[in-house]
Formats: sequence, C-alpha cells, structure tokens
Amino acid sequence: MLITCPYCGPRDVSEYTYQGDGNRTRPDPASTDQEVWNAYVYDRLNPAGEHHEIWQHSGGCRAHLAVTRNTLTHVVSSVSFARDAGHKKSDSRRKTGAKA
Amino acid sequence: MVEQESPLKPVWKPGTRGNFSDGVGVYLSETAPGSIVQLAAWHGEEKAIIAAIKKVAGLTLPDGAGGGAATGTKAAFGFAPGKFLVVDEQEGLVAAFAKSVKTETGTVTDLSHGRTAIRITGPKAEWVLAKFFAIDFSLTAFPVGAGRSTVHHDIFAQIQRSAPTQFDVYVFRSFARSFWTALCHASEEVGYEVK
Amino acid sequence: MSPRRAISGGRIDRLRTIRFTFDGRPFTGHAGDTLASALLANGVTLFARSFKYHRPRGVLTAGIDEPNALVTVLSGAVREPNIPATMLEIYDGLNVASQNRFPSLAYDVGALNQLGSKVLGAGFYYKTFMGPVIGPLKGTRFWMFCEWFIRRAAGLGSAGLEKDPSRYERMNAFCDVLVVGSGPAGLIAAKAASDSGARVMLAELDATPGGSANWSGETIDGLPAAEWAAETLRDLKARENVRVLPRTTVWGYYDGNTLSAVERVADHRNTPAKGEPRHRHWTIRTQSVVLATGAFERPLVFPGNDRPGVMLAGAALRYVNQYGVLPGQKIAIFTNNDSAYHTAEALKKAGAEIVAMVDVRDDTSVAGREIAREVGGEYLAGHAVVATEGGAQVSGIKVQRINAATGALSGDPRSIHADCLLVSGGWSPTIHLASQAGLKPEWDNDLQAFLPPKPTQNWVGAGAFNGSFSTEKAISEGHAAGLTAAGATDGKADELPSVDADAFDPNPAPVFEIKAKGKAFVDLQHDVTADDVRLAHREGFVSVEHLKRYTTLGMATDQGKTSNIPGLAIMAETLGKPIPDVGTTRFRAPFAPVSVGSLAGERYGDIRPERLTPMYDWHVENGAEFYAAGLWHRPMIYGLSGESVEQAYVRETKAVRGGVGLVDVSTLGKIAVQGPDAGAFLDRVYTNMFSTLAIGKARYGLMLREDGFVLDDGTTWRLGEHDFLMTTTTANAGKVMQHLEYLLDVVWPELKVQLTSVTDQWAGAAISGPKSRDVLAACVTGTKVDNDALPFMGIVYGEIDGAPVMICRLSFSGELAYEVYSGAGHGTHVWQALIKAGEPFAIVPYGLEALGTMRIEKGHVTGAEIDGRTTARDLHLDWMLSKKKPFIGSAMMDREGLVAEDRLQLVGIVSLDNRPLNGGAHIVEELDEANPHGSLGHLTAACYSPSLGKYIGLALVKGGKARQGTRAFISDPLRKRFGPVEIVSHHFFDPEGSRMHG
Repeated sequence: MLITCPYCGPRDVSEYTYQGDGNRTRPDPASTDQEVWNAYVYDRLNPAGEHHEIWQHSGGCRAHLAVTRNTLTHVVSSVSFARDAGHKKSDSRRKTGAKA
Repeated sequence: MVEQESPLKPVWKPGTRGNFSDGVGVYLSETAPGSIVQLAAWHGEEKAIIAAIKKVAGLTLPDGAGGGAATGTKAAFGFAPGKFLVVDEQEGLVAAFAKSVKTETGTVTDLSHGRTAIRITGPKAEWVLAKFFAIDFSLTAFPVGAGRSTVHHDIFAQIQRSAPTQFDVYVFRSFARSFWTALCHASEEVGYEVK
Repeated sequence: MSPRRAISGGRIDRLRTIRFTFDGRPFTGHAGDTLASALLANGVTLFARSFKYHRPRGVLTAGIDEPNALVTVLSGAVREPNIPATMLEIYDGLNVASQNRFPSLAYDVGALNQLGSKVLGAGFYYKTFMGPVIGPLKGTRFWMFCEWFIRRAAGLGSAGLEKDPSRYERMNAFCDVLVVGSGPAGLIAAKAASDSGARVMLAELDATPGGSANWSGETIDGLPAAEWAAETLRDLKARENVRVLPRTTVWGYYDGNTLSAVERVADHRNTPAKGEPRHRHWTIRTQSVVLATGAFERPLVFPGNDRPGVMLAGAALRYVNQYGVLPGQKIAIFTNNDSAYHTAEALKKAGAEIVAMVDVRDDTSVAGREIAREVGGEYLAGHAVVATEGGAQVSGIKVQRINAATGALSGDPRSIHADCLLVSGGWSPTIHLASQAGLKPEWDNDLQAFLPPKPTQNWVGAGAFNGSFSTEKAISEGHAAGLTAAGATDGKADELPSVDADAFDPNPAPVFEIKAKGKAFVDLQHDVTADDVRLAHREGFVSVEHLKRYTTLGMATDQGKTSNIPGLAIMAETLGKPIPDVGTTRFRAPFAPVSVGSLAGERYGDIRPERLTPMYDWHVENGAEFYAAGLWHRPMIYGLSGESVEQAYVRETKAVRGGVGLVDVSTLGKIAVQGPDAGAFLDRVYTNMFSTLAIGKARYGLMLREDGFVLDDGTTWRLGEHDFLMTTTTANAGKVMQHLEYLLDVVWPELKVQLTSVTDQWAGAAISGPKSRDVLAACVTGTKVDNDALPFMGIVYGEIDGAPVMICRLSFSGELAYEVYSGAGHGTHVWQALIKAGEPFAIVPYGLEALGTMRIEKGHVTGAEIDGRTTARDLHLDWMLSKKKPFIGSAMMDREGLVAEDRLQLVGIVSLDNRPLNGGAHIVEELDEANPHGSLGHLTAACYSPSLGKYIGLALVKGGKARQGTRAFISDPLRKRFGPVEIVSHHFFDPEGSRMHG
C-alpha cells in the first residue's frame, strides 16, 4: 500500500504509523460530560468502505495526515495535512449520543 | 575547543574492500561538519526561514518540498513541512541563526552532535542506497540539492543529494555505527573505498 | 555424444562442458543446460518419487510449472530442497540429490504405499486420525502413534539444519513501466515503452530472456526467432532507461502497483562473486505494468499419465529447440489441439521417430493432417490414450477410439510401442499476477481457458497471457501494451517485426480426462487423482475451495500450475455444471516459491540495529557487561574478576551511597520543546504546571494518556523563555514523541510549538553520591556548583576540560546527584574527565543493576510500574495532579474503576526468609505452596538492598496502601520459589529525601 504524503510524495505504508479514526474531535477540555469523553476515547468508526483516518508519516517528515482510505480496497482517495483538515471531521455520531 | 569524537571510530577502516571487477563503485566517508542546525518555520513563515538561510549561509533554496542547495562547505535542504537542515563545515552556525530567526518566525535547534553525516559518492551510490531506502534515487526524481526524509528499519535518515553521484545521509548519532557497518557490507558487491 | 542429445541445434554452448553430480553419479552437460535438459540428454528419465504413493516420476515440463522433477541442491552442509530440475541451471560442481526415496531412487521402499493406495485416497488422514477413539486403529491417539512413520514417508525434500551462509539482499526499484515476461510480446512492449521515454524494467524468470522465441523455431524479421530475441535484448540492455532482470520471478502484485520479485543472482554459479547476494528481493514500485507472462500447457488426465516418459508436448518442443535434447527416440503424441503438431515436426527434424499422433478430435484440420503425414507414424484421429505401459519408464501406450463430444470410449484398446509420450491438453494463460490485481478471471469457451480478469490496478496484458497464441499477435499486442503502459499514443505499428510462422488453431477440443480404468493423476505433485476429485464430490465437497482443501489439489509447491484447470473441469463434470459456474480459486502470491532468505534480506541473525551511547566504547574497555534495553546497549554492571552480578551491583551501590558513582544516562529520551506556546503546551500534556517554571530550573513531570492512565514520567528543564528540554524514560521516548506530535498536528494545530528529538545530541552522565559535588567542584569551570549556585532542580552551564556542559541537579538514586549533559561528540571526553576528577574520591562507574537497586530502595517508578494499567494514584503520584487546569487524561482519570480502593497499588515487599525475590512473582495470602491461588498482585522489580541488608522489591498489590505492615507470601512456581514476605511502604530508604537535598 502506498500513501502519497503531501510533502514527501508516494511512500510505502511501512513508513507510516496508523494513528486512528479521523472522525473524532476532542471535547472541550473543561467538559466533564463522561459520555462525550467516553465516545472520544473509546468509540471508533469501523466502516467497510471509505474511512477518514489519521496516519503519521513517522518514517519520513513525521507530519500527521488526514487520509481517506477504502478499507475494502486500500484505495487512498485523498490525503492532506491533518493540521489543515480540521474542518473535514464529522462527529455526527456523538451528537446523536449513539455509541459506535 | 574540544574536537568532536566520531561515533564510527572502531569501525572506521580506511582502504578498499569488496568486488572491484568494475572499479570502485562507491566511496564512503564521514563529513563531520562543525554545525548541523535544524530550522523550523511556523505555518506561513517558510519564506522567512528560506531568507534567513540565504542571509546566514548564503544558500539559495528553491521553493517546494525537499528543495535544497549545496556548496563545497555548506548545505541546506527541506526535509519536512517548514523544516530545514542547514549544515556548515565550520562551527558557529547555531549562534548565527539564533540571532536572525525571531521567535515569531520559527525555531533553531542545534543538532551538531546529534546527527552523523555519512557521504556516499560514486557511480553505484544510487544502487547501494536503494538497498536501504524505499525512495526513488534517480536524478529526475531526486535532483541535486534536494532533501528527503526516510527510514531504514529503525534508522531515520535525512538524505541530501549534494552532487549528481553524491549523497549525504544524516542519521541519528546513536545509530551511526550500525548504519555504517551495514552500508559497508552492502557496498562490498560494487567495491568500496573508505576515505 | 550423450544418447539423447541431438546432433545439432539448441541454444546451448556445445564447446563448454559442465560437470555435475546427481545422486552421487557424475554427469556432464553444456553451458545453457538446465539440470532437467542435461539429465534427459544423458538418458535419465527417473527424477523423483511422488509425494504420497512414491510412484516413479520423470520430468513433465521445461519450466517453473514442473510438478514432478523436484530435487535437493547440496552445497557443503547446506541443502535446499524442492528445486525444479527444469529451473536449475547447471554449473561445474553442482551437486544434486533426488527426493522422497529410500534407500535410492530406483529401489524405493515407500513405493509399497501404492499397494495401499485404495486406502490412501483423499481424506484418508481426516477419516483415520481425527475424532474420538473408536476401536484400536482410529482417532487422534492413533495419529500420535503413526505420525512419525507417516511424516517420514510422505512429503517432498527435507530442509537442512545447518545455518545458511549465503548472503541475501533486498532492493527497492522505481520505474514507469514494469514488463513481466520477455517473450516476443514482452520484448516489444519494453522497446515501445522505452522508445516513448519511459523508465522500463523487464523481468524474466528464465536465465535467457526471449521466452517462446528461444524454442518456437519461428522466424522473426528474417532471423531465427531466438537470434531476433537476443538482438532485441542487446538493444534494450544498451538503453539508459531500461533495466533487464533475467532469472527474476515476479511473484506478487500488491496495492499501489507495488510488485515483489526475487532475482536468483548467483544460483547458476558455483560461488557468488565477492559481496554478491545469492538472491535479491526486489520491491518494484511502478506506474504501470505490462503482463506478458505467456501461458502454461495443460496435461490430459488418463490412466498412467504420471509414468516417466510422459511429457508435455510444448516442453518437448523446448527441449529439442532450446537444448538440443530429444525426450525419446520412439515418440507418441497425444493431443486435443493443434499446438502439439509443431512439436512433432521439430522432433522429426531433430532425428526422432514419431510412432503415433493420437488426437481426440475426429475432424482435425487440413494443416494438421498434412503435418501428421509428413512426420510419419500412425495418425489416430478420434482416438485417445487409455493407458501407458512399462515400469519406471514408458515402453508403450494403449489407444482406443473416443467420441470427443461425449468422452465415450469404444472398440478394443490396442498397444503401440513408444519410449515417450507427449501430451497436450490445451493452454491456460498465466494470469496469476493479474488475478492478484484484478477481478474474477473470465472463462473463454473456445480456448477452454480462463482469460485475464478486468484490472483493479494499472496493468495491461499482451500475447499468450491474453489468450493470443500467435507470435504475430504477441508482437502487435506487446507494442500496443508498451505504449499504453508508457502513456504514449504515438506508436509506429507499421515498423513492427514480421513473423514467419505456421498458422495454427489454438482452440482445443473440450476433453480434459480420458475415463478408462486405472490411476489417472490430476495433481502430480500432491498425488491427487481424478477419482479423488469425484470422491470429494460424493462426500459433499461441492465448492471448488472445499475441493481444493479436502484433496489438497493445487496446494503443493507448484500451486497447481498444471492441475488447476483439469481438476476444475472434472469437478464441473461431476457437478453437471459448466466450468465457469464452478469458478476457480483465486491465485494468490507468491506465484512461485520464494526463498525465505530473500525475504529476510540483510536482516539476518540479529536483525536489529544497535543503538550505542557516546560512551559505549569506554564502557566496553572498562569491563561493562551489557543489557539490551530496546535497541540500546546499556551497561548492566562493571564486574570485577570473579564477581557475581549481585556482588558487582552491591559493590557499586555501596560505593555510590558511601561516596560517588557515575552512570551513563544518555539513553533517556530528550525532546526539545520550543516556541512561544511551549509552556502552555506542557501544561496541557503534563499533570502538573510547567508554564510557571523559572528559567534555569527543572521539574519532575507526569503524563497521562487520554484514558487517565499514566503514560510516562521524567524531568523537564526550562532552558529559555520559549525553550524547554523534556526528558522521557528510555523505553517510552518514541511513544511520547509520537503522542506529543499527534496532539500538535491533530488536536491543537494552533499552538506554536516545535518538537525535535535531541536524544542523540546530548551525552548524559549522572554523578551521584555524597561526594558528587566535590567531584564537580574539582573539574567544572565557568560556574559554581555549591548549593546556592546549584540548588536542587537547578541548572548551570560551564565547562569540563574544555567541553561545554549543562548540569542539572536532580536525583534518581536518592543521593546528592547531578546530571551532566554535554554534546554527544564530547561525551567520552567529559566522562573521562569526571572519572579522573573523581579518582581522589574513589569514584566508580555503575550500571543499570545498581541504578535499579537504588531506585527500588527509593521507591521510584519506571516502566515496570508504568505498565499502561496503573494510575497516578496507584503509584502514589496523585500529588502531581493539578487541580488548577485541565490536562490530557484529567477528564477520565476519576472514573469509578480508576479510583477504586481495591486497585493494584504500589507497595514495597521485603523477603522474610532472606532469599532473593524475582520480578513477575505473585503475592498470595495463603500458605499453600502446592496450589498457590488468589493472587493479590505481582512483583515489578526486585534486588538485594545493601542499605537495608535485605532482599526487597516493589509490587503492585490489590488494595496495597491498606495492606502495608501485613504479611503475605511470594509465589513464583516457575522458579520454584515460595516464601513469606512483608508488605511495606515503597519508600524503603531515606523517605524524607534528606540525602538528595543535602
């Protein structure tokens, strides 16, 4: 599997570290709502198909990347720097209070 | 001033080894620069860092990922978003950058002791490095002056192509001896000279 | 002249004689021969004994699809089994042994298995050896009794036990177009792609690129095809943008157009050149791929089809045209298609006698009949071979009339004398790689074969791979494929080489099996017969996947290259379904066996790099014994001669507590945290405050994970307003770095903080003991080190023997102590200066054992206690949890389960029987050594404490805080250790900390 790092170009997956579900937004640090924190810390989406993930190019420039990957085919359809991708996060699951 | 000790000392064996049926494939050396400095720009301040490199080191870096430049005594290249490695044969580069890079522009980090610079030169340099790193070393994909960040198992490496058949590999000092040993081993096939 | 070597012809070098041995017997061959061609030339037809029934086997193919002729290559004490003789190039000194026979190939005791072959059918092992014990000769217990005999009798070659001294290597390659296969299609594709400027790699699994051109006997561009191929290859090799890899099997097609290949660099030589690997594993990342992998010929399934002397017709063409070898003198041919007629022509031309042409079809082509007439011998259209005769060698065949449409046999069988039977059951495109990078293969009813699937990756096919079996088509498709792969549109198709070849109809009659009485093999390598397939069906295995697993058809080292389609056809017939409805199993990587050495590559022996501190050489020279701590090599003790490990660390500990010692702490993780928001960032990631820390001061910090458990601890030093130096434990350095990078990149991208690993920038020497300040005072210049200038947790800058140093006063040992940091390149210089300055104070270097002993005495935690399951409270570190600010983990750390009273909590343990304790031992309440139960927790660390004169340890014990002062037992059954202990506070020594503050 190759991931095209926006800085380094296409690199083998062995240079990357999976850093989890990219559909999460850290709750307000002052929040004491345990449901919200539980969801953030433990709930992970596990779709069969397109998934928003965070990968770190740990064996390269070390930037964290927001990667859209199809979990069935490994096709990576988009990659951007995670720091620029904040607006892409969807946390609808937590808004409805449902557990993953 | 106390000289820096090379981490390669016990495994540093000048001379030629390996298969020379096609001449010397690669020359291996440690460049032991006096200064290795990391500069990091805050988001949007990359141009200011490039300007500082121009001012302090006299090197003109092209825009874009991995852009770099090298002269006989100095070198600089981008290796990550907003991050650059600047190298000088002489000591004192950190102090110079500390003056010219302001807090609002970015940071200056001294790595003069923390990284070991290993140079591999020769017609088979690309071939030998391709044994270690999964990156494209061809001249079109990796032009002169450019830098790359990559890894060989646990050994992180920042690599600059300082001439058409010459690469400078910056590795963590603690891994330098292991990497050097592996590099010599891999170079036997094409014949190598340590100098 | 060898008995079977044709007088002329072939691409071998007849002037070069090669000497080799097979089963100890000396043979000769020529340069360019494979083991198979050389042995055939010498009249050898018996190559091996079969997997299950030990039947004699010859050579069926001339390539990588060979199921029978597997041999073991011996090289010194090293043996490499299961190498197809058809792929093994001979060299002077080659030493080969046959397999699966005892005592010899010709007289094999195991052949008795044939007598029991009725019993040994498919599923024999399952039926006989699995399940409950019913009767004396059944079930798992019976298996355990029989296993030794069966394992000895079944199987292929056996691997050696010696260490393989060969060198293996891995290589990364990048290109625009990878062409797999170098027949006419591949050669032309490579040329076209190269012409349009692409970077091209051309991989060929054989030694001599050219594919079918090497044996077709056709004429291309006015040259014999083999010469045309050689010419084209020379042209390609001379190009800057082409790399040709002969002896290279592309075996895997992975995501992102990444392909794996193994190059047999030196297997064709007695000794590799200096520094040359034996095998080289290539990882090829390419923009696109041209698959020109050709096709495999299929055998026909009929009784006796495994007898030595039965060979594929296409293989025979190759033996005669490429190697100048006749597979027999009196040759019969049995086919369901036209391709075998060319073999007949070539053999006749080379001097063999064609005794019979047997074709299942009644309505053979005019051209075919013409050839049959020319080559002479009987022409038996509408006939089938129903048996072979002979012992370990074909001496004749039996033929009978067949209706090709129904498969019905009629009339009486009659015999024909022949010493060789060539068979063709049609051709299957080699779609293995395409199958790894495509959808389902598509059945073609005319060709009776699966054609390549629709691609899911960037490849394009050409030639026989596509089912286009003429060379002319191979060339035109290769050209088009090369252009497409290179992304070019401008091709000069009119300049393509012309081909002079006989036209032939590639479509076979749909006959796969001749149903006559006798053992008819489908999978020759795993000894699976047509009856086994039917038996599997009768027993309810209707899916092709189940069939495969039950009968093991296609599961041997050849992965069913010659048997998959016939097996499938028989299954389909049994099910009464068309072949495409039964489906085929997906081809998976590897396409052909891959040496494990090539996968390991240079990672051989101890595969990990060594991480060495700047003072490593000094430690070695001064008698240190080392621990591997992750990748780091750290001194354990500096033992004096005759000292045990315990004696050494006790001596070192006493020296530190009584005077002064020096320990290398360069391995501690060090992260430069810089930027205007560095203080605010540290407040968020540490449980305690750092933004308030004064410049020139250090503070002990604790980090939690988001879930509220402890992540790591360490000191962080403020070197400037925007400049902190964080230290982490050695083991967690990478993990902490990644954790912090994630937070800055993903959670708080707005913070202006820069992280840099500076672990390797600094050499760290911790000097500890009541005399440590005296030693510093004696050697540090440029700063004072007294209590006012350098108070606890203070930082000063100075020089030691000319090298700049940064000194921080902090203590892990509990003594007055300092960490002296210098540039790594000055590490040994500074270390030696400290040792020298310490001589008057009897300074000792100490290792991790003494370090660990002192930390246990002090009750400091490390990775053994911060095990991912402990909270700050568990470790008595709740005083570090700030209530003034949120921090990572603060929202989750007070959850019910994390504050429960009965959690495992840190305690001290004292051995009451004055015997050593061990980490990992359990604490139990009841005195029941025989049946220890009810674990209260476990020991995390243990030592002999010279300060207390006792064996002590740290432990995590359920409700431990409340148990202090009570007694329990230590249970360590693996080390046969059980004994009384007392649970105490983890602060064994100087709980007030008066020594380090002094």
